[in-house]
Amino acid sequence: MARIVHYLTQFFTGVGGEDAASSAPASQPGAVGPGRRLAQLLGPEHEIVATVSCGDDDAASRPEAVAEIVALLRAAEPDLVVAGPAFTSGRYGLACARVAAAATEAGLHAIAAMHPDNPGLDEAGTAPVIASGEAARLMGPALDALAAAAAKVLAGDLLGEADGLIGLIPRRPRMADRNAATRAVDLVLARLGGDRDATEVPLPRFDKVTPAAPVEDLTTSTLAILTEGALVPDDNPGALESARATKWLRYSLAGLDELEPGQWRSVHGGFSTVWANADPHRILPLDAARQLEREGAIGHLHQEYLVTAGNGTSVANARRFGIEWAADLRRSGARSAILTAT
Amino acid sequence: MSDVLTRAVHQVRSVSLGPATAWRDGELVVSADEARALLSSPCLAEVKITWASPGDAVRIVKILDVVEPRTKGPGGAGIFPGWTVPAPSSPAEAHGQGAVHVLRGAAVMVAGYLPRAQEAVVDMTGPAAALSPFGSTHNLVVEFTPTPDADWAEVDDALRRGSLVLAAHLAEAALDAPPDEVEELPGPGPVDGLPRVATITNLQTQGAFKDVFVHGRSFNGQPPTLVDPGELDAGAVISGQFGHPSLRNPTWAHQNHPVVNALRARHGRDVSFAGVVLCPEPVNAADKQAVSLAAARVCAEAGFDAVLITKEGGGNADADMALKMDALEELGIAAVGLFAEMAGPDGSGPPIVVAPEKATAMISTGNYDTRLDLPEMERALGGAEVALLNVPATAAMELPTAVILAALSPLGWGHLTCSPVPA
Repeated sequence: MARIVHYLTQFFTGVGGEDAASSAPASQPGAVGPGRRLAQLLGPEHEIVATVSCGDDDAASRPEAVAEIVALLRAAEPDLVVAGPAFTSGRYGLACARVAAAATEAGLHAIAAMHPDNPGLDEAGTAPVIASGEAARLMGPALDALAAAAAKVLAGDLLGEADGLIGLIPRRPRMADRNAATRAVDLVLARLGGDRDATEVPLPRFDKVTPAAPVEDLTTSTLAILTEGALVPDDNPGALESARATKWLRYSLAGLDELEPGQWRSVHGGFSTVWANADPHRILPLDAARQLEREGAIGHLHQEYLVTAGNGTSVANARRFGIEWAADLRRSGARSAILTAT
Repeated sequence: MSDVLTRAVHQVRSVSLGPATAWRDGELVVSADEARALLSSPCLAEVKITWASPGDAVRIVKILDVVEPRTKGPGGAGIFPGWTVPAPSSPAEAHGQGAVHVLRGAAVMVAGYLPRAQEAVVDMTGPAAALSPFGSTHNLVVEFTPTPDADWAEVDDALRRGSLVLAAHLAEAALDAPPDEVEELPGPGPVDGLPRVATITNLQTQGAFKDVFVHGRSFNGQPPTLVDPGELDAGAVISGQFGHPSLRNPTWAHQNHPVVNALRARHGRDVSFAGVVLCPEPVNAADKQAVSLAAARVCAEAGFDAVLITKEGGGNADADMALKMDALEELGIAAVGLFAEMAGPDGSGPPIVVAPEKATAMISTGNYDTRLDLPEMERALGGAEVALLNVPATAAMELPTAVILAALSPLGWGHLTCSPVPA
């Protein structure tokens, strides 16, 4: 009998709705809510021995929450952890993905389910993620696919696209029958034969960014300074993460001519911050910007700066930050920006 | 008009040290005194000679270059041009004919500290042995102590010159013995109805201790150059490139260029082997662009239908690949690149650093970041420690594939690859 532990958002365990989104991780015996249907689908050779739940705000934003959830999962001695389905729910998807990734790192087998557009998909690490529909009204087919995939994982079989596998599929080393040089000759013959798809390495999907047109007249433009160097007030009031940032913050520059050492701090975890902290202008050049403002080289300096930590940040989050920053700056009237990178 | 028409292969079955260097029916006996004398230099205080054979519980660390013993006749007769003999002074000399005698299964391996060299490791047993060409060769390991205040560039030069002279000397022992096999090497040339396929071999030429030599001179700053593949067999390309261990091409790999061998093996069957273009890999982007465009034009002028492109080094070398592949495709020449992946320990990161935009066909020679669990060894050569981990060189340790010499062989020696395997 295979032991399965199910991870669910607090809502599906009857704790409450959005008002309970901050509730702490909890474990209860047996299958709960959609877990009951999942248990039926899995049949008598499998048992959902426990259900672990957590509020989505707590799971997605409190740094210790995922480790606490994994401890509860581990206490139930699972052969497999099943998280979700999370559909398109962003915070729930992040929670399911991070729980599955952390459980896998902790040596457990884990699988999650969510919609392919869920922002959590990129955070599942090496744990497999199975596609679900957009919303809970599609719970039935989502559980069918999840149960079938879970049974396959427990049987030691590999999952593929036919099982609904989505997201990043890790590339693993193996020994080929023939050496690379011989395979290269075969590949070039395929290519000459008109096969443009044949390759052993898929093209990485890098975004192409078209640079904006130059600013026509900087002397009348409001310039914003932005940074991914994680420079924040010394006590880090917004709790910006040092790595894998999930948020960005804004702080006021109104009335400030300089950034005084000791009052500002870089919390970036990807480089030695000694020199940044000794002179914060090395990250955010407020001194130079104010001088340009006084000289009339720029119209005005935007009265706040936007900041995040660019260190192992997921591409999905970085893209979201970029969209939000652009929208924010347009609303505020800034028409030019300098983004410093570390 | 190939430089070397045949390879007379003497298969090395066993090795030992003895009073005089000799070849006895598959056994290579080496005189350590003779070897030391050939390597003697004012900048080397001490040289130690040791055999490490397949299956031995030996780990060799800090490996610099590896050379296959070869000669073309008494005194070398033109082997390793520019080192053991002056560089060719006429085209006819460069394209001389003859047989090259090869001690297959043996290698001269220099190991020890040089500045800027990244630590390269070979295990003679355990899981890493199968990943390097040198886990299955009998390696004559040359360890050295420089004289006090010796100039490092002179030490590097003395080791290179000495190991090439030694490699030629060892092969000379078998010169009069009947070879196990004589390999006919087809020269490049058109075959009616078959596509003309060539190779571009990028050489990482990025300054001292990270340089590659052609006919005894640094190839840094040289233009893309069409060479006779036989010149590779004669040792025209010599490595002084001690960067990324798994992604470097030791001299042995140029002598046994796997893509050239694969094209020769298919010549007249399904391809027409069309030639070899050597290219430098410069440091800055504008030079990479200029060299890549020039290389593509050489291939177009030479009438190639398709080109296999190889790299040397880490992420920046992917740009040299991508630029050439795109330039070739733009000229209507099919391009295939041999890449190593740098996809993180779990294989979930982007596999390559700079991707082509027009070309699409790539071979994977494995993942740089894959971790290997290496067992404890009885002996270590080349150094007492693996500096990367600060542990005794004989200890059991976990290392990335990146550290195993030629494990991701950019010239295509290995069988390692990656594929998307669902969890």
